[in-house]
Amino acid sequence: MEALDRGLFKGYQPGIFYDEMFSAPGSPRLHYAKLYQKLAGMELAQFEERRKLADLSFLLQGITFTVYSDGRGTERLFPFDLIPRILPQSEWRHIERGLAQRVMALNLFLQDVYGKQRIFKDRQISRSLVYSCPHFRREMIGVEVPRGIHTHICGIDLVRDSKTGEFYVLEDNARTPSGISYVLENRLVMTRTFPDAFQDYEVLPVDHYPAELSRILRSLSSHGDEEAQIVLLTPGIYNSAYFEHSFLAQQMGIELVEGRDLVVDGDVVFTKTIHGLKRVDVIYRRVDDEFLDGLSFRADSLLGVPGLMGAYRAGNVALANAVGNGVADDKAVYAYVPAFIRYYLGEDPILRSVDTYLCTRPADCAYVLDHLNELVVKAVGESGGYGMLMGPWASQAKIEEFRGAIAANPRNYIAQPVIPLSRVPSHNPATGGMAGRHVDLRPYCLYDGQKVTIVPGGLTRVALQPNSMVVNSSQGGGSKDTWVLRGEGAE
Amino acid sequence: MLSRIADSLFWLGRYIERAEYTARILDVNYHMLLEQSQQPYRLHWEPLIAMAGEQERFAQFYGEATAQTSFEFLAFRPENPSSIVECIAKARENARTIRDRISREMWEDINGLYHTVTRFDAAEEIATGPHRICETVKFGSHRFHGVTDATLPHDEGWEFLRVGWALERQEMTARLVDVQYHNLLDGPAHLGPPDKHQWMAVLKSVGAYEAYHRQYHSPIEPERVAEMLILHPQHPRSIRFSTAEVHSGLRAISGSHTGSYSNEADRLAGKALERLRYDTIDEIFKQGLHAYLNEVQQMSCAIGEAIATTYFYYRVAA
Repeated sequence: MEALDRGLFKGYQPGIFYDEMFSAPGSPRLHYAKLYQKLAGMELAQFEERRKLADLSFLLQGITFTVYSDGRGTERLFPFDLIPRILPQSEWRHIERGLAQRVMALNLFLQDVYGKQRIFKDRQISRSLVYSCPHFRREMIGVEVPRGIHTHICGIDLVRDSKTGEFYVLEDNARTPSGISYVLENRLVMTRTFPDAFQDYEVLPVDHYPAELSRILRSLSSHGDEEAQIVLLTPGIYNSAYFEHSFLAQQMGIELVEGRDLVVDGDVVFTKTIHGLKRVDVIYRRVDDEFLDGLSFRADSLLGVPGLMGAYRAGNVALANAVGNGVADDKAVYAYVPAFIRYYLGEDPILRSVDTYLCTRPADCAYVLDHLNELVVKAVGESGGYGMLMGPWASQAKIEEFRGAIAANPRNYIAQPVIPLSRVPSHNPATGGMAGRHVDLRPYCLYDGQKVTIVPGGLTRVALQPNSMVVNSSQGGGSKDTWVLRGEGAE
Repeated sequence: MLSRIADSLFWLGRYIERAEYTARILDVNYHMLLEQSQQPYRLHWEPLIAMAGEQERFAQFYGEATAQTSFEFLAFRPENPSSIVECIAKARENARTIRDRISREMWEDINGLYHTVTRFDAAEEIATGPHRICETVKFGSHRFHGVTDATLPHDEGWEFLRVGWALERQEMTARLVDVQYHNLLDGPAHLGPPDKHQWMAVLKSVGAYEAYHRQYHSPIEPERVAEMLILHPQHPRSIRFSTAEVHSGLRAISGSHTGSYSNEADRLAGKALERLRYDTIDEIFKQGLHAYLNEVQQMSCAIGEAIATTYFYYRVAA
């Protein structure tokens, strides 16, 4: 096609990876064809103008995240790439079913582990593996959480494997996943800066997320009435996701509180207001378990509320997500999720998981140590791209460092083959044109105790560095608007 | 309303007002001093530093107070907590902690102002003079007031903002009048009486120059300038007007009726206002202007502390 010789796509090479836009050089996939025609006709300068407009919009709205590398905490824009990631309806429906199944199984697993513990008796997973998870919370055993919900919100990370073209689940993120605010803001900025791109497509809306989350939080109140006080507990403005916390609080019309705004008296939680104390019924907490309550967990935490666990155990306040969920997204437990799905639901898993080597198994561990330069090694309790070794790209020194760490504490590590992630054309600052960049997808799943609701799409994170497969914002990643189409996009 | 949020709104108001006031004083005095640079001038730069209450800190960084050093210190110096840029940064930081509670327009407005002032290049501005940054801050502050009034529900939160900026204005006007009178009237005798340009500068720095002429139809006289800035019932920068704002805001929050009070902040604000309503400028000069203004400033501090203990601080319950 001659379009490849000019404009934005001049010299674009899909390369050896699965390209979300192209099935072959110059041949866009059916659902991308109309967008491609539009973009290919654009001058570099026109595109650049839109790009600047979008950046300015994010800056002025203060849509930033904080990085701590310099000790002071610097605000940065989360880079936004204008080329959307498009999913046709059929593909989305498959993902949606798979995610719903997974969330149900994870919730049943958490109920069981902190409850009757049938799964140990039925030998599906060993008690020692679960109890040795860094995020297993002994304090939760026997606690009946409101309406039996542990996983109110899961941000499950998916990747498309270039070899098979299929989606794999990479992580379950059942603790306090962040990023949904970018999904909503990306869409808003996209409709403002690129309104004409939407003309040819029916893109499913995403802006009902806060209302849906609010409905679930409200249903957790033991009073169950309209008057229930729901608050969002944030670690404060120095937290990297602070923008999101204030955004969600505002969208849901609930109070954004810090630990110092709350006090527990007689196992009841209150906010400190200018007219005295006011009872709190539900807390959407964005503070990690270990910082929630200095009396139960880390005594040096100033972020939480002393006595909160007592109020929670007494049933006087609901927490979302539940305490102790880290055991479900432990990276070693991850290997067992397909078994959970079979065990609790009697179904075959719809979405695939990545093969995982557990370093606690001697044979696995030996294999991992022999193939460190081919594998991805992950610390089981970490998230956000920290504590990770990307074997093929790592320095010898880094590999040796992990070799020592694995030998010293095998329980703390798992390894997986490198999944060559699919790519989407993205802005290349070096040329002003397009270059393929690797992406993942994080849909946000809400569970109300009956069914799982998923806002169409989710956050597409993109590794903006050439050849990088690490998409985390803390590691230099950006994001894209994600379009789920009402149909197949070729209509 | 959470105590912490009320606290942040109160300080958001104060910092915006402090930035605007500093910009006003800097702008007017800078240009007046330039005009008079051929003559032995009595309005020195030190009083401007004194007005900000930052003489000691200034001495740590500079020797002499010149146009350049004063401008740099009052506008840009990060070590000066009252510098214009620092005040705007703190106002924005307060807004950021409560951005879910203020309107989106307010947040975007103050965030935009912050990015504008932090992008000024200090060296370049010092070379060309303070007018540009001062205008930006002055109008930025006015716009923020406007955006606030137009987009924020006029509820308790709005009242805390109003009380914050009115209390700051009350205190800053008292300082301005105090320092300028001391400087102008108690100066060395050999310089003779201050000329009217200097009184004009005082009026201009609070935006009261035109209003003065409408009010008095007479040449500028020191007593009348003081009367205008202390006792005028309608001028938005007079001490009396600002005190009335503080008082009415506090009563709206506490719900107490005219003539009564329900906490210490209410009581002190009411007491201060009654006094300003019935004092005359002759009585004030008889008592001594400096002593009087000193009392006003102490009262401002006391009201600020009473607001904090009544609404912001919690003794650990349970």
